[in-house]
Amino acid sequence: MSDPASQALQPRLPQTQSTGSAGSSTAVAASTGSGQGHSDPARPGLSQQQRASQKKAQVRAFPRAKKLEKLGVFSACKAIDTCKCNGWKNPNPPSAPRMDMQQQAASLSEPCRSCGHALADHVSHLENVSEDEINRLLGMVVDVENLFMSVHKEEDTDTKQVYFYLFKLLRKCILQMSQPVVEGSLGSPPFEKPNIEQGVLNFVQYKFSHLAPKERQTMFELSKMFLLCLNYWKLETPSQYRQRTQKDDGTAYKVDYTRWLCYCHVPQSNDSLPRYETTQVFGRSLLKSIFTVTRRQLLEKFRVEKDKLLPEKRTLILTHFPKFLSMLEEEIYGENSPIWEADFTMPASDGTQLGQTVVSPAAVPGSPALMKGMSSISTLGGMDTAGSEPITGEKRKLPEALTLEDAKRIRVMGDIPMELVNEVMMTITDPAAMLGPETNLLTPNAARDETARLEERRGIIEFHVIGNSLSQKSNKKILMWLVGLQNVFSHQLPRMPKEYITRLVFDPKHKTLALIKDGRVIGGICFRMFPTQGFTEIVFCAVTSNEQVKGYGTHLMNHLKEYHIKHGILYFLTYADEYAIGYFKKQGFSKDIKVPKSRYLGYIKDYEGATLMECELNPRIPYTELSHIIKRQKEIIKKLIERKQSQIRKVYPGLTCFKEGVRQIPVESIPGIRETGWKPSNKEKCKEVKDPDVLYNMLKNLLAQIKTHPDAWPFMEPVKKSEAPDYYEIIRFPIDLKTMTERLKNRYYVTKKLFIADLQRIITNCREYNPPDSEYCKCANTLEKFFYFKLKDGGLIDK
Amino acid sequence: MQTENKSWSFFFVPQSNILEDERQRRFVLTDASVSVSSASPYYRTKLRGLYTTAKADAEAECSILRHALDKIAEIKSLLEERRIAAKMAGVYSDGDPPRKTMRRGVLMTLLQQSAMTLPLWIGKPGESPPPLCGATPASSDYVAKQGDKVAARVKTTDGDEQWILAEVVSYNHGTNKYEVDDIDEEGKERHTLSRRRIIPLPQWKANSETDPEALFSKDQLVLALYPQTTCFYRALIHTPPHRPQDDYSVLFEDTSYADGYSPPLNVAQRYVVACKENKKK
Repeated sequence: MSDPASQALQPRLPQTQSTGSAGSSTAVAASTGSGQGHSDPARPGLSQQQRASQKKAQVRAFPRAKKLEKLGVFSACKAIDTCKCNGWKNPNPPSAPRMDMQQQAASLSEPCRSCGHALADHVSHLENVSEDEINRLLGMVVDVENLFMSVHKEEDTDTKQVYFYLFKLLRKCILQMSQPVVEGSLGSPPFEKPNIEQGVLNFVQYKFSHLAPKERQTMFELSKMFLLCLNYWKLETPSQYRQRTQKDDGTAYKVDYTRWLCYCHVPQSNDSLPRYETTQVFGRSLLKSIFTVTRRQLLEKFRVEKDKLLPEKRTLILTHFPKFLSMLEEEIYGENSPIWEADFTMPASDGTQLGQTVVSPAAVPGSPALMKGMSSISTLGGMDTAGSEPITGEKRKLPEALTLEDAKRIRVMGDIPMELVNEVMMTITDPAAMLGPETNLLTPNAARDETARLEERRGIIEFHVIGNSLSQKSNKKILMWLVGLQNVFSHQLPRMPKEYITRLVFDPKHKTLALIKDGRVIGGICFRMFPTQGFTEIVFCAVTSNEQVKGYGTHLMNHLKEYHIKHGILYFLTYADEYAIGYFKKQGFSKDIKVPKSRYLGYIKDYEGATLMECELNPRIPYTELSHIIKRQKEIIKKLIERKQSQIRKVYPGLTCFKEGVRQIPVESIPGIRETGWKPSNKEKCKEVKDPDVLYNMLKNLLAQIKTHPDAWPFMEPVKKSEAPDYYEIIRFPIDLKTMTERLKNRYYVTKKLFIADLQRIITNCREYNPPDSEYCKCANTLEKFFYFKLKDGGLIDK
Repeated sequence: MQTENKSWSFFFVPQSNILEDERQRRFVLTDASVSVSSASPYYRTKLRGLYTTAKADAEAECSILRHALDKIAEIKSLLEERRIAAKMAGVYSDGDPPRKTMRRGVLMTLLQQSAMTLPLWIGKPGESPPPLCGATPASSDYVAKQGDKVAARVKTTDGDEQWILAEVVSYNHGTNKYEVDDIDEEGKERHTLSRRRIIPLPQWKANSETDPEALFSKDQLVLALYPQTTCFYRALIHTPPHRPQDDYSVLFEDTSYADGYSPPLNVAQRYVVACKENKKK
């Protein structure tokens, strides 16, 4: 991949009508942008490029006198110091400009039409100049002429400006016989590291290195093809970009676009300017701006031209390329993609390093990303991956696949159609939107973390995962923050010895999620990950006292949850002291520990008099946005109810029976309640067993009978993944008789309703997973009849 | 409260315009005085007439603004009355289910809002700030009204004394005792306290530009509400507010720091009151 130019010459995208040997590679690009500025003469089309080089060859073959005349047009008059004329003008302009090669060269004594001095005065500086230099200058002359045309034909203002700038630049260079250098604030290539080429190659290595050599080769070829296309791709203009993305501020893109014009695009047909390949000088940020539209155009292009492709390429492109691009897309827009690390290597090594990840403010509010995780954790300096990659490498695909694809697939029965939801979404306006920023804080029902989320979005607070390292020299800022964390923890946790806090905060195996405000640490959560044991220990957690009660603690914990989901750890364990239990409960921790003791015993730090608490994470929940999402969902449901109400509007007179002394009436006797779709549930009608011990014994008895039933054998224990590998993908709420026995022992069945629901779920799970005529379903049928009989018999449900 | 805050900023604008006008007039005056000796009696009379009109205009404008400020104060007090009425109704109607307590974060935001919207005292020229403006204490016979916020010294459950933020419920003139409610609904306690245990909070902000004497000065010992809590603690003034909307920066007494004081923290004028006892605990 060292020489992209040679790649460019390989006919990877065969085109039957290709006109020249070098042409086939540019075929894709040549006809793209069909909907855009067709007047662009500098389009990297082959003909343009060829015409330019033909013209140059022609000019360079001129006799010297003719060359001098041509250069004289762009050379300042040197007859006298005061002469301001900067180009000789032919007093007898040729009638047909294109015929100039047949015309006789103008004589050196011919006076200039504008200043009257002889041509010789204009070209005197060229007398002792070598033929090579003359030819170089002539090349620039041709390019200047072409640019002149470009400036006139271009319709896009931004592009026109750049062409004009380049035109002036080249003119100046001819005058001064210098090398053209694009100056100004554009910077010089490469503009970002790693470049696109490196990123895409990393991507191939990262995603496909486990494939067989042949398939890997295929992916490699696809990546080459993609890079090649990008190099010849015509970018959309800044105004098109602004229009497409609906962003007011396209400044960054405009800078990239200008760079691309000056260093990549124009030099393709204008060889006086130094040329760079797009994929070598730009990095991820440009790819981010252009990928969506480029992918669409590319695929469309291939679809339209599929008949022109070679058969073997056709399969490659039509079957693999879309998938390839989708996967690449994930890595381009994904939040924690390792392929853009400066020192990307295939994850293999272990060992904790000084890592720092930035949790950047959440993206555009109210965007469709609402349902996904919006806050992104991106890695700075590429230091965090090595330690964590062994976990994420394979597992990370799982939750992602779940969130994106299953979100569409898993649709509950009787669910509201998406169109309706969208329609309702349109009508919901944020009540706080109109009233200025302060009012957001005022609403008493605002979520606990609403303020913190808002502050993060505005950049008032930041979240960083940091840690100390013994193997690497630590960044001074990180060390300062670690000291800040140590201070916050020791002030807020006065019962912890300061030395102990210091030891753990600076221990390279511990990391801390730091909350930064005005560059200072105001809170944090120190934690230690145990990837092999599948849990993380929360060690210290504090927010400085004068910043408390602002929702920072909740937002911190939510960020920590998202960080762990990204790293494939789904359990938090912590020993909470009496003051902390309340906080942890609010953050979804419970005293009910699901992680087996053997997994944490000897790993987690044990504290006297503290309570062990656990939090199980759900990888499908975007925690930092959760309260926001739920708020939106509530609004949607409220709107849906309002709609329904307006459809079946009927007002019944109020109930009067209570005034007359009636204490209770059956729900179904309320007028109109059945019309709303409410159904009486037969389970609720029979009275609840009040005494928990009586219920417990009844259920224990019943469960024992069910377990001894001859058809209960398939349901005795949890389904083994080895026997039904996809079982847990299909069955979302697995349950079995053994689990039920444990639940009973743990006094989970506080009402019979819970017990019956679990029993019923055994049956419905079985029917969902197995074909109806299978042995399992037959067992389920008989067992169902049996236990319903028993339930009625025991008076737990009505007959 | 929001709209009120906006009205404040609105009224500041003409305020500065008045100053601007005043400056221009003075300029005219000095300009004129140069030539006044040579001016004819006609111009002298005319000039005097113009001055009189300008003065009357400025006074009219000033009184309109003051009138508007009074209106705002009136609206505010109506809102306050309504709030108290609602609170009383909530307390005395047993039928309704108990109101859910406000989340602490929301309470803190409300306290901040109330500090922010505390009116700024704008006196007439030469008028000195009234009691309860900035650091100016209330008169000795002052009785806080129902609904007023005060710092109240209460006994905590573990026997210690603590200054809390409270709201006046009533004052008994016979016993000279206040009944106050802890502002923190989690506490939900009503205290009966003698008047020396009550310090009314300022009702106006003092303007640091015009009435700096009505502000606490550097190193003065005060009681200040610790940020994000409802308790007052002893603190030293680190820096007084620079501009009318600024907060004090104070150093709280805090033994957990080596020098005995916390790093500087911001507290609004509303929540800084004079500390009576000067001896350290």
